[in-house]
Amino acid sequence: MQEGRVLPPEQINKDLLNSIMSTPKWYWPAVGICSLIVLIAATIVGYMINKGLGITGLNRPVMWGFFITNFVFWIGISHAGVMLSAILRLAKAEWRRPASRAAEVLTIFSLMTAMTMPIIHTGRPWRSLYWFFPYDFARGIFPNIRSPLVWDPSAILTYLTSSVLFVFIALIPDFAILRDNTTGLRKKIYTALSMGWQGNARQWKLQIVAGILLSALILPVFVSVHSIVSWDFGMAVSVKAWHSTVFAPYFVVGAVHSGVSAVIFVLILLRQAYGWQDYIRREHVEALCRLLIVVSTGWFYYFCMEIIFGIYGREADEVAIRTLQFTLYPWNWIMIIFIVTTYFLPILLWSRKVWRRNLLIVSIACISVNIGMWLERYILFVPGQINKQLFTFTWANYTPTIFEGIIVLGTFALVTLLLLLFSKVMPLIPLYDIKEGDILKTEVQIGRRTVPATFRED
Amino acid sequence: MAELKTLNHHYKDMWVFPDADDLAGLPAKATSIGINKLLLWLTLILTAIGVVGFVMRASADGLNDYEPWGYYMAAFSFVFMVTAPAPLVSVAFRLIRSHWRRPLTRIAEIFALVGIVNFVLYIPLMLMIPEIANPNGAGHHSLDIRRTLWIQVPWGAPHFWETMAMLSLPVMSCLILLLSATPDMSASIQFVSGIKKKFYMLVAGYWKGSKRQWLVMQAAIGALGGLYFLTLPFVQFLISTDFGMSLIAGWKDSIFPAIYTLMGFQTSLAAILIVLYIFRRWGGFENFIGASQFWSASKILLGLSLLWIYHMFAFFITFWYGRMEVEQNILNYLYVDSWFWIFIINALGSWLIPFLILVWNPVRRADWGAPLAAVFVLIGALMFNIRIFVGAFNAGREQIYDISITFVPDAVGPDIWDLCMVIGIIGLACLVYLIGLRIFPVMNIWEIKEGAMYQKMGRLFRGNYLVLAKPE
Repeated sequence: MQEGRVLPPEQINKDLLNSIMSTPKWYWPAVGICSLIVLIAATIVGYMINKGLGITGLNRPVMWGFFITNFVFWIGISHAGVMLSAILRLAKAEWRRPASRAAEVLTIFSLMTAMTMPIIHTGRPWRSLYWFFPYDFARGIFPNIRSPLVWDPSAILTYLTSSVLFVFIALIPDFAILRDNTTGLRKKIYTALSMGWQGNARQWKLQIVAGILLSALILPVFVSVHSIVSWDFGMAVSVKAWHSTVFAPYFVVGAVHSGVSAVIFVLILLRQAYGWQDYIRREHVEALCRLLIVVSTGWFYYFCMEIIFGIYGREADEVAIRTLQFTLYPWNWIMIIFIVTTYFLPILLWSRKVWRRNLLIVSIACISVNIGMWLERYILFVPGQINKQLFTFTWANYTPTIFEGIIVLGTFALVTLLLLLFSKVMPLIPLYDIKEGDILKTEVQIGRRTVPATFRED
Repeated sequence: MAELKTLNHHYKDMWVFPDADDLAGLPAKATSIGINKLLLWLTLILTAIGVVGFVMRASADGLNDYEPWGYYMAAFSFVFMVTAPAPLVSVAFRLIRSHWRRPLTRIAEIFALVGIVNFVLYIPLMLMIPEIANPNGAGHHSLDIRRTLWIQVPWGAPHFWETMAMLSLPVMSCLILLLSATPDMSASIQFVSGIKKKFYMLVAGYWKGSKRQWLVMQAAIGALGGLYFLTLPFVQFLISTDFGMSLIAGWKDSIFPAIYTLMGFQTSLAAILIVLYIFRRWGGFENFIGASQFWSASKILLGLSLLWIYHMFAFFITFWYGRMEVEQNILNYLYVDSWFWIFIINALGSWLIPFLILVWNPVRRADWGAPLAAVFVLIGALMFNIRIFVGAFNAGREQIYDISITFVPDAVGPDIWDLCMVIGIIGLACLVYLIGLRIFPVMNIWEIKEGAMYQKMGRLFRGNYLVLAKPE
């Protein structure tokens, strides 16, 4: 570990604020392309609202398709933030430092994006209000608090609020640096955001305590969000293959798997785009990949449990769905691609140290994981609904339309766009965290060898 | 023990810094601990009581019918749950290069010897597993083949495959123990005599400490650890399913093996912490075992306790919300009705009490905090095993081929022979562990020496702090 140089604070400020202080040539074209895709997707959403859900492949009984798959996918991505920032901060992992901000920000943007999916999925978004507000007192109609439709927004909004707070607290010292390095309106905004930060001992102490407290408090929220999303499915007895007790941890670990993979990919892009080779180093990528080997193996264990106990009961309906998933086209191909891309290919690519330090190979592995995790949600949700039911009028297949595809693509563009815009106004690598890490670096002489070391408080 | 100049940002005894004299004397000290004779006799007597209980139970009920053996199964599962993952705890901490692991790795690895006990205890259980095929054939409410992992009933299922799986664990874990202890036994040959010396010569006589030997040894431990890591959850899966879930008709619960595995790691860590505390407090190893071992391990124990309730809740809410008759019956049987009080003690021990103890920073920093929580964890785990396995063994012999359980059976208390077997099995496990402590160096000498090179106190600004080297 510790391969980088110890840089002076001024150099760190200069390097890490270059995304804000200067604009690379590729920046505005990238923003333009993402905006265009988002605009097209938004137009299609408008068209869908006008024409109705009939323009999608959704039907009866396949009422949950691309949109809900995408919703769960983005909720999953949001789990990177807490994993990398809160858990690794509590575990005092030094290599977390450059990854924490990007992970937290990705959490916020993916949560915001995820929240749009069920709303779009309703077809009549304004009716979503009925989930929360009683609209007919006279007839005693109230929101059903036992419905996942109430749990989900509650959990997600709590997670979003706490994540925003978490990012904001960590940003305060960096806002102060920006305040001191900008002029005009930007200075005024950063002055307000930095909340009078002077960097005195008391402020640092409060900031650190707040960070640790929030890290600990956000953990239950982190676990509950995807657990609750999983229970949207797990509680449904009527759809075979969904009613599984392992769904909650299976979803949470899968979310961490896809979320951390996404963060690694974002970090590699940032490193290349902004020349942050001194900050996002190969040792960091390698450590994250090692973490992912453990996470993905844990995920694979839960996946095996889910599949084994799907057929364990030998109930005809359940076995029929597993047969569909594993043996019938196109589901069998989706299943094979999903398993290979989510587990076997990435594990292979992370198996050797040389490969874990090769950014191209790691990028391929991380993209592979996310392709697989998207497919995982798809193959988990849809086959249960297309399975032949008792009455023939409830038999139907599901073929997503181009409109759904573009809306899904739009969500990827939206998250990218939000990240790009964020990078223009706030640093994507925490400056103070990097400086603190540099201060704590030292070396120990053992025999003839100089070994990297760190100062520890416990 | 070297005097610390100042403690500043460190709690007293958080990290210990053994000096050259301490380290030079460690091989002699680690191979000559005095196990209390009274303790050995006590465990031997308990084992004898267990043998009497087993013989009486076998002569009264035979080995064909599994129903009367619920408490035997619970005790076996408890010992298996606690001891089987212990070597893996050592391997895992070594793999993630935790510095604080060093004094506890050998304590963990010696549990491998109890794996032999596990295998011996398992043999009668293997004979009791009921036939997979329904002797009466399929009926209106029954299946031709009972619900089991062995869906297609492959050759040798379940007896042969389960036996092979059970046997693989002690083989691998004992190899890990031997490999890890080789350098220490080699360094300690001059301090031992008699049979022990012969054993050390046989096992570690070849050890010269060349670079190649070190590399091969570490690679072999890594490979065996990896294999053990893959095998252990599988065996836990077999035990929890074949002797638990499959004996209650209609119990289909994909999270249960995960809970069982999770509790394995929780209880193993708990047992290791208790032994570690005994060695620090009464064993004379306070120069090698600091508070940092308890401080670091307690966070993991706290996390595992929280994971326990999370997994348990995930199971509970899915069954409860589903409102299916079979799931309600299982909930009523194992949780809220028949075994309610045992479940409460289980939950208190596995989650609430450890959580309330370990949530406090000062308690986690103290060397007694984590071991105290660990005692409750073990009590909770024993209750868990009684609830699940006595429950499964007594859910009705005649219903195992049914599609689902249609009634809520009553809880079954232990008789005198059950109690004898429970204390006997636990006594036997303790006896074998104590014998292991007499055979092997109880501290991992080479890891402790290595760790002493990697840690020092360093000055940063105006304070003294711990400096930890990370060579990898």
